[in-house]
Formats: sequence, C-alpha cells, structure tokens
Amino acid sequence: MASVSCNECAADIILADGTEVNEIIVCPECGVDLEVISLNPAKLEMAPMEEEDWGE
Amino acid sequence: MTEFDFSTLIGLVEHYSPSGSEEAAASWLVKHMSSLGFEASLDEVGNALGVMGTGNKQVILLGHIDTVPGEIPVQVENEILFGRGSVDAKGPLACFVDAVAQVGVLDGWQFVVIGAVDEERDSLGARFVVDQYKPDFAIIGEPNNWDRIALGYKGSAWANITLIGDQTHTASGEQTAAEAVIEMWSAIKSFAEEFNSDKKRAFDKILPTLRGLDSGEDGFEQWARIKLGVRLPVEISPEEWYLKLEKILMTSNTFQNKMEKVGFAMLAWQSEKNSKLVRAFLNGIRHEGGTPRFVYKTGTADFNVVAPVWKCPAIVYGPGDSALDHTPNEHLALEEYKKAVSVLVGMFNNLTNS
Repeated sequence: MASVSCNECAADIILADGTEVNEIIVCPECGVDLEVISLNPAKLEMAPMEEEDWGE
Repeated sequence: MTEFDFSTLIGLVEHYSPSGSEEAAASWLVKHMSSLGFEASLDEVGNALGVMGTGNKQVILLGHIDTVPGEIPVQVENEILFGRGSVDAKGPLACFVDAVAQVGVLDGWQFVVIGAVDEERDSLGARFVVDQYKPDFAIIGEPNNWDRIALGYKGSAWANITLIGDQTHTASGEQTAAEAVIEMWSAIKSFAEEFNSDKKRAFDKILPTLRGLDSGEDGFEQWARIKLGVRLPVEISPEEWYLKLEKILMTSNTFQNKMEKVGFAMLAWQSEKNSKLVRAFLNGIRHEGGTPRFVYKTGTADFNVVAPVWKCPAIVYGPGDSALDHTPNEHLALEEYKKAVSVLVGMFNNLTNS
C-alpha cells in the first residue's frame, strides 16, 4: 500500500492494493477526483476535467 | 523516419457519401482495408466491415461512413484537410482503420472496424449491427478532439401534439385550440424547469424545444399543433418522457388531443469513467503528451444505439472539432489526425497487455 498526498488539499491518501495506473480515485478529505499516474513511485494528477458541448 | 500515410483519411473523404449514397465509399473502404490486412466485406445494409484477428476478446470500433449532404472540394492546405466528413466523422473512422492496421493481429483479440451507414438520418447501420455483436469493449467514432474522451450522450425524443375541437365564435370568450396548445407548451416548459432546478449540468437536464407551431380551422373544427423536440438526461427514458407528455395532455378536456411519436427516440447513456477502456485511453493520451479531458454531449450519436444494448465499457473518440460538424468549413488538421492514431495505438497496447 502506497501513501500519497492529494493534489488539491494535501491530505494523505493510501492507495489500496490492486489500484491501477490511470485509475480515478476520490480524495476522502476534499472529494476531488484524482488520477493515479504511477504506482512506483506513487503519483497523482488532477483527474481529467469534465466538459460539456453540443456536438453530435 | 517514415512519412505518415494519410491515404485512408484522404481516400475516404474523397468518396463523397451523404446518407443514402454510401455505396461507393463503403466499397472503396472494404478494398482499402483488405489491402491493409483486414478481412473486409460489406454487410446486408451496406456497412463496411474490417476484421483483424480471431481472438475471443472483441473490440468494436464503430464509425460512420455517411455525412450530411453538401459536397466540399477536397484539398489539403497548410497541413489541413478540407472536405465533407473530414470531421464528422470520416476522420474518426479512418483513424480507427489506421490504428488497427498498425497494431495488427494480437493473440486472443479481435478488432472489428465498422463504417456504418445512415448515422446522420436514422442510424440504419448501427441499428443493424447492434444485434450482430456482443463486444467486450466498444469505441464509437465522433470528433471530440484528440485529447478528449466522450463518456455520455443525451437522449432525444420527438413528438407532434395536435388539439382538435369544435369551432367557436371569436366573441364567445372560449379558449381556442391555438391558445390551449400554447398553454400546453408552457406546462411542458414548467415541468422541465422544475425538474432542472437542482441540476447544474446541461447533461442532467431536460431540454425541450418548440420546433414548430401551426393552427387552422374550417368553419366546423379548429385545430392547433406543436412539434416538440427534447434532449433527455440519463434519468428520463424516452418512454417516461412520452408518458409525461400524455399526462400533461390529459389536463385539457376542452379539446381532443393526439400525440404522435416522430422518428427514433434515443436513450441517454453515460459510461463509467473508471473502466479498463477509459484507463487505457488516459494512458494513451498522456503518453502522447496530452492532458486528457472528459466530455458529456448534449447531442446524440450511434453511441446511443449500441451502448445501452452492449452494456460493455464504451466511449466515443475521434480527432476534430465537433463545432465544425455539418458546416461548409469542415476541416481537420493532419497533425491532430496523426496524434489520434498514436493515442489509439498506445491505448490498444495498454488494453491488450493489462
């Protein structure tokens, strides 16, 4: 189990066993979505922004 | 370094194929895919199929080969391809073909590229293939930029509502059919506004539109009709929407009413963002130097036809700016096309190795 800090609020987050690269996780403190960029070393980025548009 | 081969993209765009006239483009694509190593054929409704591999795990890449009408001279200027369908959606379809050709045959996997007909009308091609396959993963081709993944498309439903009643004297003060139908439209809007009041995203809202209004009389009867469109959230199915309309109609007892469903209704669909398929795409986009983004669309696509039935991890992907869809200025940067092919190749490598 790796420990890593939230990019938004700096809370400690423990990555559960079986966590995968590019998995989206939620910070238990501030609720922001984060993407696991690497496991060794454990590294997070803000999860992809969610946009809307009208295209068919 | 080998120069990138744009023959799939340019060849496809050069074969002008508005809905209903896809045959030449589909036949060309079958021949072209055969030359790239696919088992290629046309199916019963004219979809172009290209199969790579015979494995048990199946990935369907469903693009559409038809375009809206309006031929645009095909030309490459400053590394930008102009032509009808360059964005919507031959760019995405061509990049499916090129990426699968690059990846080739992989043990245990089968890739099926489909150039579906009629997406711009009634999705005849997608409605045909939806019962032919049960894939493990599905990628639908529509332009969303090379670094964006579309996870959801709203639903839609169209209806005409007609009110008919006896002719009354204009001095009588009685409500006319025209007045009653406008009241009905107000009630529909009020229902949507109430439903939407706590929703932030357009994707989660009911978005009704008044697409036509007409009325008349012949001395004995009067009538009024509205043509309604609606873009629906995942929470409301077309059936539930039609039931709601019927309830609103029942509030008028002065006039006989008739609701006529028009065209094919589409169910809204939203895919899970934590699937193996999405992870593989995020990996592919980041590997190409991009910062991936998710998008939810207020329009509809063949995604709405197949994703609710296949119920497998499914997303919509493709290069190009969807704001250029259906415009006379449709164009696609060749650099973006190359990026999208690389993202797909990286995505396949990740998906098939994890």
